[in-house]
Amino acid sequence: MANQKILVIGGGPGGLEAAKGIAELGYQAILVEKRGRLGGTPDEASYAALTPDLRDADEALREMIEPVENNPGVEVMLNTIVVGAEGSIGDFRVKAIQLGKEIEIEAGAVIVSTGFKHFDPGRETQKYGYYEHDDVITLVDCEKMLKAHNFVRPSNGEKPKRVCFIQCVGSRDRQIGNEYCSKVCCGIASKEAIEIRQQVPDCKVYIFYIDMRMYGYWENEIYWPAQEKYKVNYIKGIATEIMKKGDKLLVRGEDTTLRRPMEVEMDMVILSVGMEPSGGTQEMAKFFGLNQNKYGFIETTGGSAEHGCDQCARGIRRRCMYWPGRPRRYRLGSRRSSDEIYRRLTQTECSACIK
Amino acid sequence: MPVDKSQIKEFEKAVVDGIELTADWNRMFDQRVVFDYDPNGAMDKVTDIPGGESMGWCYQCGQCIPVCPVDIAGGDYGPLKIFRKLQQGIELLPDPDLWKCTTCMNCLRVCPKAVNMIEIMPATREAAVLDAKVPKELQDVFESTFEYGNPLGESPRKRADWVTETGSTVSTMKDLARPVDMLWFVGSYPSYHARGKDASRALAKVLNLLGADFGILGTEEKDDCDSFRLAGETGLFEEFAEYNIKTFKKYKVKKILLTDPHALNAFRKEYPKLGGDFEVIHYSTFLAPLMDKLDFKKKLNYKVTFHDPCYLGRHNGEFDAPRNVLKAIPGIDLIEMGRCRENSYCCGGGGGGMWLDGFMSDHVNERLSEKRVREAVETGADVLAVCCPYEVSRFEDAVKSTGNEGKLIVRDIVELMEEALG
Repeated sequence: MANQKILVIGGGPGGLEAAKGIAELGYQAILVEKRGRLGGTPDEASYAALTPDLRDADEALREMIEPVENNPGVEVMLNTIVVGAEGSIGDFRVKAIQLGKEIEIEAGAVIVSTGFKHFDPGRETQKYGYYEHDDVITLVDCEKMLKAHNFVRPSNGEKPKRVCFIQCVGSRDRQIGNEYCSKVCCGIASKEAIEIRQQVPDCKVYIFYIDMRMYGYWENEIYWPAQEKYKVNYIKGIATEIMKKGDKLLVRGEDTTLRRPMEVEMDMVILSVGMEPSGGTQEMAKFFGLNQNKYGFIETTGGSAEHGCDQCARGIRRRCMYWPGRPRRYRLGSRRSSDEIYRRLTQTECSACIK
Repeated sequence: MPVDKSQIKEFEKAVVDGIELTADWNRMFDQRVVFDYDPNGAMDKVTDIPGGESMGWCYQCGQCIPVCPVDIAGGDYGPLKIFRKLQQGIELLPDPDLWKCTTCMNCLRVCPKAVNMIEIMPATREAAVLDAKVPKELQDVFESTFEYGNPLGESPRKRADWVTETGSTVSTMKDLARPVDMLWFVGSYPSYHARGKDASRALAKVLNLLGADFGILGTEEKDDCDSFRLAGETGLFEEFAEYNIKTFKKYKVKKILLTDPHALNAFRKEYPKLGGDFEVIHYSTFLAPLMDKLDFKKKLNYKVTFHDPCYLGRHNGEFDAPRNVLKAIPGIDLIEMGRCRENSYCCGGGGGGMWLDGFMSDHVNERLSEKRVREAVETGADVLAVCCPYEVSRFEDAVKSTGNEGKLIVRDIVELMEEALG
């Protein structure tokens, strides 16, 4: 008889939703999280409000964590890092380290939900001087400040008067190796722009973009209100260099519709960093022998998962496909229940997409 | 280094700090580097005005530009271009751009963000009017209209003189001293302009042949002023509207027949806001279903092309009635221009353009009416048929200025009816 337990690796929104779904269907889930608490990236990176409706991130996470934490169908293992795996479908023996102690977890199937990491703008190139200028920050840094309701210039602690976002940092870049679009940054930048205008109303906000990629309802739920209600200035053409000018930053680029160079002073520059596969995703791929595409995302049948998440439901569906040897997918008791789990899991969201 | 020609400006005379510069110094270059975006809130100055809000909504798809009649005529214009200039901090109120728009509405028709020049323009222009920043030729017409009740500067006492001049049988409401089925609001150009009177005579004849029970206000009529409203003179519009509404009520008017689509627009959309709710009908809409009641004696062997008035078609949705009138006239072969119906090209007269020909000539390569006449000639038509009183004079001038005299004649649809009635 095959092992009926399902191991979920990663305690972010994707893993939480997966564990909850498994329990609801009457199966036993083991949820493994390397940090000392559940919530994943939105929690770790202090997301302030979620896109598109600016819902409080903590509140949304609480709603996802609560049904898992006190659920007899879910065994939560915090401070646990998966370090290796043996066995195959129906009989996995996963090695992990829990608070310095080596343990072994047995499961019939594994769901990898290790997500993404934010692009480090200093990783490949210092084009924008992220580690050079205090007032050059990322979407993630900005999120932290907005959460603390303390949006100020890191250099002097003063409220900024002029702020710009630079889109596509670390995405759509052959030289960096990230040729893909990270999909959510246009929306996140517009959402943060709205929050800046709410928290510092006399601060002008500019977004320098190549093209705004607001898929689906984000168009009318984020982009349009940002422009129409919050008067965020969208300028087509992203900046190429940032230089210090007195205590300001001189942002230089090309205004592509005017076909003229721009050299505008800013108090702060926010780099709209994209997504890369997380360290966990890279490692799990190795442990479970999962193929990765050239960017490090896990290959699935039917194409690569996009930034470990894709668009919510589809991302989870693809994550289901990470079940080792998916074409010969392990069937939990019967085909029907397997399909049920499959269907249930397709309704969940991943952390990148709820952001 | 090669220089982008569009950035070179040659001045016949350049004066800098009071010193006249000569020769090569007259050649100026646009500043190349953008140092700031709208530092003084030029955009806010427009979007803060009630009605101007949507100016800030443009996401620069550019769909408005190819259908902007002013841009087509070489005016380098359109909502996107205005948006872009505002974003650079170029103020709209003192800019000639403020007066180029004819409010033809073709941009709004195609705009996915619903940037509404039909609201932006009057709102922003009103601010310019209050600031006394109006092109002089338009200001002069504002003043004479205020004084005389019509933009032609003619005596208000002569407003009904066309009736006797043309030998028409038309009674004023005052003389009738009883309610009628339909008040005919003749309008200023059909009352005073030589070619407008021709159409009035024709319409009077047709109405009498149909046995219509109607009257006119005569000297008690004042201009509808809708184009002045769109040119920013809201005060003038409202004053005349209140007067007209009062007069309509005095004569217990229920239904109004209109010669002018601009008046139709005002009576239908603006007068109700001021307490004047009347049934309104353009004469083309009135005549179209009655064409078989008329005994046409003459066959007109004309190839006719029809120009949709912006304020009848796009603004008020009537595209078929004038065409049905034309098709019912014996012998007429109706051919369409490339730009027709919803995408009809503006004659240039709307939104104040009627009185800005001098101003506009500095900003376009050809007049909009000239462009339209060339399009009509291209179809091979003998007649350019119209049903808006602004158009007869505009297009007849354009036929002359484009050298098409003898090739194309301009006729009101009711003039063609009159001709066929024999």
